Amino acid sequence: MSSPHPKYASNEGVIDLARSILGDRLIAAEEDVGEVALTIERTALVEAMTLLRDTKGLEYQQLMEIAGVDWPEREERFEVVYCLLSVTRNHRLRVHVDTDEVKPVPSITGVWPVAGWLEREVYDMYGVLFEGNPDLRRILTDYGFRGHPQRKDFPLTGFVELRYSEERKRVVYEPVRLAQDFRTFDFLSPWEGAEYILPGDEKAQGQQPGAPTPVPAPHSKPEVKGEAPPATPKTTDSPAQTGAGKAEPDGDGGKK
Amino acid sequence: MSDPAVELAEPHAPPLDPAAFETPVAPSVGDVEIQNYTINFGPQHPAAHGVLRLVLELDGEIVERVDPHVGLLHRGTEKLIEYKTYLQALPYFDRLDYCSPLGMEHSYVLAIEKLLGLEVPLRAQYLRVLFAELTRICNHMLNLGSHIMDVGAMTPNLWLFEIREDCMNFFERVSGARMHSAWFRPGGVHQDAPLKLLTDIADWLDNRLPRLFEDAISLVADNRIFKQRNVDIAVVSKEDALAWGFSGPMIRASGIPWDLRKSQPYDVYDRMEFDIPVGTKGDCYDRFMVRVEEVRQSARIMKQCLAQMPEGPIASLDRKVVPPKRGEMKQSMEALIHHFKLYTEGFHVPAGSVYVATESPKGEFGVYLVSDGTNKPYRCKIRPTAFSHLQAMDFMMKGHMLADTTAILSAIDVVFGECDR
Amino acid sequence: MGVELSAREAATPPDAAFFNDLTSEVNDKGFLVTSTEELFQWARTGSLWWMTFGLACCAVEMIHVNMPRYDMERFGVAPRASPRQSDVMIVAGTLCNKMAPALRKVYDQMSEPKYVISMGSCANGGGYYHYSYSVVRGCDRIVPVDIYVPGCPPTAEALLYGVMQLQRKIRRIGTVER
Repeated sequence: MSSPHPKYASNEGVIDLARSILGDRLIAAEEDVGEVALTIERTALVEAMTLLRDTKGLEYQQLMEIAGVDWPEREERFEVVYCLLSVTRNHRLRVHVDTDEVKPVPSITGVWPVAGWLEREVYDMYGVLFEGNPDLRRILTDYGFRGHPQRKDFPLTGFVELRYSEERKRVVYEPVRLAQDFRTFDFLSPWEGAEYILPGDEKAQGQQPGAPTPVPAPHSKPEVKGEAPPATPKTTDSPAQTGAGKAEPDGDGGKK
Repeated sequence: MSDPAVELAEPHAPPLDPAAFETPVAPSVGDVEIQNYTINFGPQHPAAHGVLRLVLELDGEIVERVDPHVGLLHRGTEKLIEYKTYLQALPYFDRLDYCSPLGMEHSYVLAIEKLLGLEVPLRAQYLRVLFAELTRICNHMLNLGSHIMDVGAMTPNLWLFEIREDCMNFFERVSGARMHSAWFRPGGVHQDAPLKLLTDIADWLDNRLPRLFEDAISLVADNRIFKQRNVDIAVVSKEDALAWGFSGPMIRASGIPWDLRKSQPYDVYDRMEFDIPVGTKGDCYDRFMVRVEEVRQSARIMKQCLAQMPEGPIASLDRKVVPPKRGEMKQSMEALIHHFKLYTEGFHVPAGSVYVATESPKGEFGVYLVSDGTNKPYRCKIRPTAFSHLQAMDFMMKGHMLADTTAILSAIDVVFGECDR
Repeated sequence: MGVELSAREAATPPDAAFFNDLTSEVNDKGFLVTSTEELFQWARTGSLWWMTFGLACCAVEMIHVNMPRYDMERFGVAPRASPRQSDVMIVAGTLCNKMAPALRKVYDQMSEPKYVISMGSCANGGGYYHYSYSVVRGCDRIVPVDIYVPGCPPTAEALLYGVMQLQRKIRRIGTVER
């Protein structure tokens, strides 16, 4: 019994063949989670795609999807991902291309006509330019929409909202005003390794933040046992430190 | 009272009149040159299957060019998913293709399971296949019915919707919701299906479904009017189907026996015996008949599922992904903690990216999931089926009559929830 | 089911005296006297033709309510594709920014008196998509709404109940003041 995801032909030899066919156009090739991903030089995209489609042994006849991904911390922040499918070899392949806001990606509408709308969508969502796309308009967002909503720096609720204006007798855009803010929680384990200080944490300077957990989270570094204890072991024995017996447990617990 | 509206943009320059005709120049006397005119179809039109807006350029009654405007139901699903945990994002998939909710969930849970490397018990896989096929029947009932109705026949639709109501009852009995089940979960399914439900489905497959369905289809399959409206309309060749990214019944109608259930089996489809219907011509009638045959094959798969389904757990026992059952929570402190953690923080998915596609009733529905190791998807790109098909409208419509628009549109089987996301 | 039907019937007995009065008056005189206002209001509830404004998921349930199992035409409620011929608009589904002008346009084209049923959480207030950048947070920002039907999506029965609530509302207060 294994993970029940779709199973297709094996990845064996695909990377080698692609490397020999594509040559310099291929920047990187990796196989991860059972999928082959090729990173291709942006300027050579059209030739590379044509080769991937027409070379015997690769034969990726269908372009199923173009996805954009935004990595704001990277130098070339956008990644355009082409998902290819070979119906004769029963294999899938991903082609990645890096770009940024200004550098255009060559359009592959000449290789697959279906790319037209898919590129339009990536342009709409991320603002990635596609050189050679004959009809690079917005596709999903509203007529006259400003900004590119899928960028990580675009707020979830956007900047404007609609309402019908009785005075103007038509719908108008207004700056967005929410009755209740979107509730987000930081689940990135405040128990260990949190970068911020929760209210009250400043009282426990010199101590490990948070309560000690008996079992370390799977992704964190396991704590090495037998290490030197904290420089100033903190005891909470005297009433001055615990605040016991006082009407107001104020902040003078730090005094000795 | 003064209007506080601060106007930022006035984007709606052309009014979206449902029946706006624009005749550029009125022909004067002696003017023999006939000009094309543009007609606006939708976005509110009963045959638009939702909120499609087509700008049609007509020469008389012949369509010269089509410019589909989509995005009228763009709800920002992909953006919202990035702000929710993996489990919270699951119901968005129900709402993508609201005619086949479980088909959408299927790709998503498989993508998560692929990233997690999670094993799924056999009974859960059988249950998923069973209900995925029920979803297919449910979806095709809507599509076939509305296709028939769009070309002018009323009665079969009424009968097919009766089947749909039965399907909805089954969904309600298994998940509690008629449409948006949210029943497939990473690691299995949410609740087990009671035995009575399974026997009822078996009974329904044997008696009620074939009777209603074959009766309804017999009214149209050989009907002269129906054939006149569909045969040789929007013929798509094999080459075009490949180049335009067709999938599902659309590519099969063009003669390519490509079915992800067969070629890239997921869950227990590799244990199922079924045939792939293939069209001979690639016209609207073929698409219709492919779907008709798919319903019969789905019923066949469901019967096999019911016959083979083993007993056992219905979800993975990995407590770091699948929450414990309520009964267990009353007994075990650990189970309670797991439940709390999974429903607040959710589970963390290892960093990586996968593209997982399944055969939804409408075609290849894919999810490109990028995880950065946290409890929320970094990016979840949804590959809708209708998007590529709708793009091909332009070349499919060229040279056809205006009245064929509805037949072509119905045969594409477009649902805007997933097309626009 | 666990509901005791006999007990519920006993709780709301039909007003026998009222019907007897009515019958005797018709038998006696051959006609009934009422105000035109009341007559109009009664007539309006009888044939609420609705504008099919199916936007998203709720549209499917909206179709189901017309189909044989629920058969909304029992209440004289029939779907119309043209706003000019319809009395009530059922906004079924998520209303997106791009669609909002069309919704208002269709609403403006409907003839008075007109009513709006907002169906489903998305139309009621944005629902699951409330925080999206492209969704109108409730269709009452665009058109005035008479009846809100909750649910995601509301079942066909819930919509049917909503339509019946609208009929009651019309009978009680006539044309809704805007």
